[in-house]
Amino acid sequence: MSRGGFAGKVLCIDLTTSHVQSLPLDMTVAEQFGGGLGLTVRLAYERITPGTGALSPDNPIVIGVGPLVGTNLPAASRMYAVTKLPASGSIGWSGAGGMSFACLLKYAGYDHVIIVGRAESPVFVKIVDDKVEICEARPLWGKGIEETSEALWNDAGRPAGVITIGPAGENQCLSAMAFVDKFSTLGRGGFGAVMGSKNLKAVVVKGSGGIEVADRRQYLSLSKELLGTIREYPYLKEWQELGLMKSLPAIPVETYREIKKRRIACVSCPVADKDVVEIKDGDLKGFRACTSSAVNLMTPMIYGFTDYREAIRCTAVLDDLGMDMFEFFGAMAFLRVLIDNGVVSKDRIDTPVVLNALSSMEAWARKVSSREGLGDIVAGGLSAMLKEFGEKAQEYAPPIVRGMYPYVGPTAPLRWNLFGTMELGQLLDPRGPHVAAGGSPTYFAKRPLEVFPRHLIRMGVPDAAMERILSKPGDAGKEQALDVGRLLKYSHAWFTMLGSLGICARAQVNRFYNASLCAELYQCVTGIETGLDDLRIRADRAWTLLRMANIREGFSRDDTVPPKEWFAEPVFHDYVTEEPVGPGEVAAMIENYYDEQGWDRHTGIPAPERLVELGLTDVI
Amino acid sequence: MAKYKISIVPENCTGCLRCHLACAELYTGRFSLHEARLEVILSGDTCTIRLGDDCTACGVCVDNCLYDALLKAPLEAAP
Repeated sequence: MSRGGFAGKVLCIDLTTSHVQSLPLDMTVAEQFGGGLGLTVRLAYERITPGTGALSPDNPIVIGVGPLVGTNLPAASRMYAVTKLPASGSIGWSGAGGMSFACLLKYAGYDHVIIVGRAESPVFVKIVDDKVEICEARPLWGKGIEETSEALWNDAGRPAGVITIGPAGENQCLSAMAFVDKFSTLGRGGFGAVMGSKNLKAVVVKGSGGIEVADRRQYLSLSKELLGTIREYPYLKEWQELGLMKSLPAIPVETYREIKKRRIACVSCPVADKDVVEIKDGDLKGFRACTSSAVNLMTPMIYGFTDYREAIRCTAVLDDLGMDMFEFFGAMAFLRVLIDNGVVSKDRIDTPVVLNALSSMEAWARKVSSREGLGDIVAGGLSAMLKEFGEKAQEYAPPIVRGMYPYVGPTAPLRWNLFGTMELGQLLDPRGPHVAAGGSPTYFAKRPLEVFPRHLIRMGVPDAAMERILSKPGDAGKEQALDVGRLLKYSHAWFTMLGSLGICARAQVNRFYNASLCAELYQCVTGIETGLDDLRIRADRAWTLLRMANIREGFSRDDTVPPKEWFAEPVFHDYVTEEPVGPGEVAAMIENYYDEQGWDRHTGIPAPERLVELGLTDVI
Repeated sequence: MAKYKISIVPENCTGCLRCHLACAELYTGRFSLHEARLEVILSGDTCTIRLGDDCTACGVCVDNCLYDALLKAPLEAAP
């Protein structure tokens, strides 16, 4: 069988020396890690010197797209970046819907891009097939996401993929994100700040080549079958029409229909979850916003905004500055509490902090992103605020995990009180309290346990593990139960499988895939003989290596301690019994997670024999 | 001879490019954005879908569209 799927090259760019090198992809390592997310983790592990500061020139940004990216398999357009993140200090993944960037990177001839160093002045990297230029970006420095993206598209011509940061990234705010083609985000943890620390405003890619699959006949057969499954899904049109508004109607559906201009999709996505909206009336009539989801635009309403039009404007401003809305509002809410309780003197506040007022939040967004006045402290995130405002501030601190704000919980912005994989994942994802790896792959809130087995089989959970995850009524005298810790292991594995292939993990999309189908697709695209067990072990290899990378940085079980606020009323409740969840239950879940991973159940350190089993002998 | 009449409904297009890629693959054996017989350009909220002069109206683009942005109707058989 011939080979396909991979472009076959890794592009290495040193911004300090302006040295650009294209290296052949090591197919042996690619096969061991699958590609995409898994291989990105491997390349990052090799290149991050332990102890390197996240904002140091030596911290590499490793970008990767999986072997299915560039084909037209549904939602096979995911891209990942792995680097040391400044907000958590950990080595973590950032993932984004690849829009057109991901496939164009493949068509330009690259599976991965590694960027190190620091340019003397602002630059952007322009990749046009074999021609790679480090270009002057001073005229773009200070510009927002929208203006920068459009300027780069005007310069390069379409189709072109653009990753860019806004002022928040330039000024190394820890809530800074990078935006992909203006819609998707490489998000929380400060990925945008890492780009900013390198004086890297943007990466532009154009690719005139293409990607072949190894077994065309099988590809077309599987693809046709998959497309048929999608077309037959009874809620497809509803998802396409409403996007995330279907499950999270932040505003009345009729209002959404009025403002909706167009749904936008990443390449080959069947549900098009991105939005362009336009406000139809009031003072903001005619204001347009591009967003990763209209639901996200409504985030300020969680903080008291009553006018959805002002919420749209506020989030659009944050997006344009390149700033994560949850981290921004979390920090502003903390600042408000500190002012109210006299911890921060009112003399220090030159702009009122009013969480539900557009003028206030817009002004503070600009202060934070430009690090002006007290905005400089807020830009440093919750940890910097605690350091600046002293011990008394600790008393009023919100829940914090790895220096960041877990945004799902009984009192969190995304209010939710059942403790499932998404919630536990906020403690156990190496990147910090992010919900994608523990949430999207497995999550189906309040669904009965009867539906779990079918779903777990789809995720590739082995039979033996099914029994550990779901105990039946009467087993050892127990009630029916769900072992959230053990299930989270397989959520992370399914997430890693999908990410390594390049398929989006969103629940609305991954529902059309199953692990066995993923193995068949991987084999027919790449020509690499692959079964379900191969996918499982590659996923475990990559996730365990990510764990080892962070252990190498000094992280330990101590960094998974749940915030004490989770155990003060209102508390989380057990997913099944709805009994309150206490610290003991969470500790047991963490231990079961470690155990299911094959790591030491108390320390979370992978045992040498597990590393040997995974072929990670070079990290022992 | 063309088998279908292809109609374009640009307001339904999400820019997912499935049609574009399927067309390139059918005629060249590889997925690419530069070798298709149609072109989809999404800019802001404006979408343009153009069928190239070499389009054979084979309908593979329509078969791959999930958003009803491309439709096909059989051409009547010649008498």
